[in-house]
Amino acid sequence: MRRRPGIQGLQRTVQARDQYKELGRNVAETKLEQMRAQMASFKEHLEDFALKHRDDIRKDPVFRAQFHTMCANIGVDPLASNKGVWAQVLGFGDFYYELGVQIVEACLATRSLNGGLMDMQSLMRYVARRRGSKADPVTEDDVLRAIDKLQVLGGGFGVVRVGDRRLVRSVPGELNTDKNQALLLAQGRGYISKRQLTEAYNWEEPRVVETLWSLLKEGIAMVDDQGPGGQRLYWFPCLESSGNVQADMPG
Amino acid sequence: MSDFTFPFFFNYPPYFTLQPVKETRQKQIELWTELILRYCRHQKEFIVSTDPADDSPLFFNRSIERRLNREARVVFLNELVSRGNAQWLDKSQQQCLVLWKKLGEWADVLYSTIRQFGLQDSVMTLDELSSGDDVKDTELEGAPKALLTEVIRLLEAQGKAQMFSGDGDVGVKFF
Repeated sequence: MRRRPGIQGLQRTVQARDQYKELGRNVAETKLEQMRAQMASFKEHLEDFALKHRDDIRKDPVFRAQFHTMCANIGVDPLASNKGVWAQVLGFGDFYYELGVQIVEACLATRSLNGGLMDMQSLMRYVARRRGSKADPVTEDDVLRAIDKLQVLGGGFGVVRVGDRRLVRSVPGELNTDKNQALLLAQGRGYISKRQLTEAYNWEEPRVVETLWSLLKEGIAMVDDQGPGGQRLYWFPCLESSGNVQADMPG
Repeated sequence: MSDFTFPFFFNYPPYFTLQPVKETRQKQIELWTELILRYCRHQKEFIVSTDPADDSPLFFNRSIERRLNREARVVFLNELVSRGNAQWLDKSQQQCLVLWKKLGEWADVLYSTIRQFGLQDSVMTLDELSSGDDVKDTELEGAPKALLTEVIRLLEAQGKAQMFSGDGDVGVKFF
């Protein structure tokens, strides 16, 4: 015979549920407690690590990059604040702050010559010269990090990719696809002609003209009417990383 | 004389073509005018030509095969003229006197040289002032007549000199 649910049965069920709830809460609390302790000890260890290797992190650019990667993996940003424990432990804030200032300086000093697009290698040479030989070495990774931090200031700082080359942009504005394509084509030689651009991408004449004119207007390109055959060449100072156009800038 | 070091832009072809965009051209003018003054001072060149056939190393970079055309030369020199750092020698703007020292400064140089050598009250020719024994190894050595004439005119206005012309030559007396 089947038992019907009685008042006692119901009460028992409710009781059991409450007990489970209680137990669950206890378990969760213990877990949380453990996690807190783990986090605290982890943070402590990370700080210990950072402190212990402080000199390596500051002096050795490769090690520094690895440290950054590690921090990124575990969701810690040592550069997030200048006041945090990281800045205090490592003096990181100052390092990137200083680098940021030097990058801005380099970009401003050369802006009227390159239209606000500066080759990464030129920028690094400029920065290295500005810092002097005694300063800790700086890598592209550091420069990229510093630029990333500069973005919060507005002002259009950013990094543009043209093929396998990185250009640092210091003026607001987009380098649209067409302009990027034009720069890409000019890589290596440092210049292009209208005809080369037309033939390379099969563009209609107005598109070519518009792209080149726009690059001229922004100061990114310069014309040269004395190329072979007298055709007009469009040169890009921002692509002159090996040449002296940017590197010899009066500092 | 030590070798002249050309600036970075001298090896970059587009700087030899007058730029169509205003801001870029402004920068180009700035760089070229500075170069012209620095070059002329270093080489002790007083007169430059706007004739594009002129192969002065100042306006022609053989290694990249680029030269300034007449229009570009005139634009850059006109900028110097407007700043008092140059003077056209003819209406058609063929020749330009480059004043890396302004006329007033040249007047001071000339007058103090004259005083230094005790040549006041004696009459000198322009030739003597630019290539005579007295001015040898001074800044005046090699100064063209065009420059001297301008400078002496300035001194005349200050009452410090007087020019005479006679026998096809020009004589100057300093006070």
